[in-house]
Amino acid sequence: MRCAEVREMLPALARESDPSLAVRRHLSKCAGCRAELETYRSIVASLATLETRTIAPPAGLAAKLIAIPSEASRVDHFRSHVTRNRAAYAGGAAAAAAVVGAAGAFLWRSRERSSGRARTTNWGRFAAA
Amino acid sequence: MKRPTNGGSEAPRESVSFELVERCKKGDEYAWAELVEATHREVYSLCLRILRDPDDAAEATQDAYLKAWRALGSFRGDAMFTTWMYRVATNAAISKQRGRKRRRVHEVDADDETVSQLPSTASTETLAGARIELEAVEEALRLLPEHYRAALVLRDVYEMSMEEVAKQLKITETAAKVRVHRGRKKLKELVQGPAQETD
Repeated sequence: MRCAEVREMLPALARESDPSLAVRRHLSKCAGCRAELETYRSIVASLATLETRTIAPPAGLAAKLIAIPSEASRVDHFRSHVTRNRAAYAGGAAAAAAVVGAAGAFLWRSRERSSGRARTTNWGRFAAA
Repeated sequence: MKRPTNGGSEAPRESVSFELVERCKKGDEYAWAELVEATHREVYSLCLRILRDPDDAAEATQDAYLKAWRALGSFRGDAMFTTWMYRVATNAAISKQRGRKRRRVHEVDADDETVSQLPSTASTETLAGARIELEAVEEALRLLPEHYRAALVLRDVYEMSMEEVAKQLKITETAAKVRVHRGRKKLKELVQGPAQETD
């Protein structure tokens, strides 16, 4: 096996203790590839120790997390209130939509009427001329 | 998945007792505070390692604990609580990462082609077989493109199985293997510099 082929396999071998015979044979003869495999293993070993190295969370995060049960119960309370009164809320929303629709229709009709009157007046003036 | 160890010792330590979780399930807010105190540093660190941005990590941590609080009833104690919590946190962080990607057209991260080498002294110190400085590895991890970083964090830092990595990232196991493989390669280049051909 050539170095290029073996090196392509080294990242996967970083956590494997038993590479194939052909790779083992190459590694026994090639110090460069052996060293490279060691580097990968060392990096992977370092990564594994990172879990225990915690990073300090921002101030106030713990307090927010601790407050989750009370916040969640407030949200749940609100949600269940909405669910329980869904019919009433739906009725209210439908009524509001109907009022808005009626008001819109009334405005539209009154505007149509006034513009129609203006058109007739203009036509009358043109005919007289 | 690996569990937190006690101050670097080899014996795994579960920082959350079964009784504490049971008290939380019953709605005991004092028990919840104790549970948060015992676990939130690890959970925040996991989110930060995946997301890199401290604000996003804090938000993902909050999402994770909210989900955990709501889903505590489904925790049966088959796995350790921290293991379960890590899964919930990983899920929250990955969801945040996806949402962030959708919002952003161009990746701010260095992409595969433009990843630069770490300018630290680590690259000169890390000769073959030498101990790799943890700070250099953590910094290189931070510089990795997002998709490699998430896969590598889950596989090599939190020692999830390849199947679990694939599940968490919602990709195939083969794709997960490829990301881990390329991620390790890229990480080594960042720590040490590109490989030199000797053949």
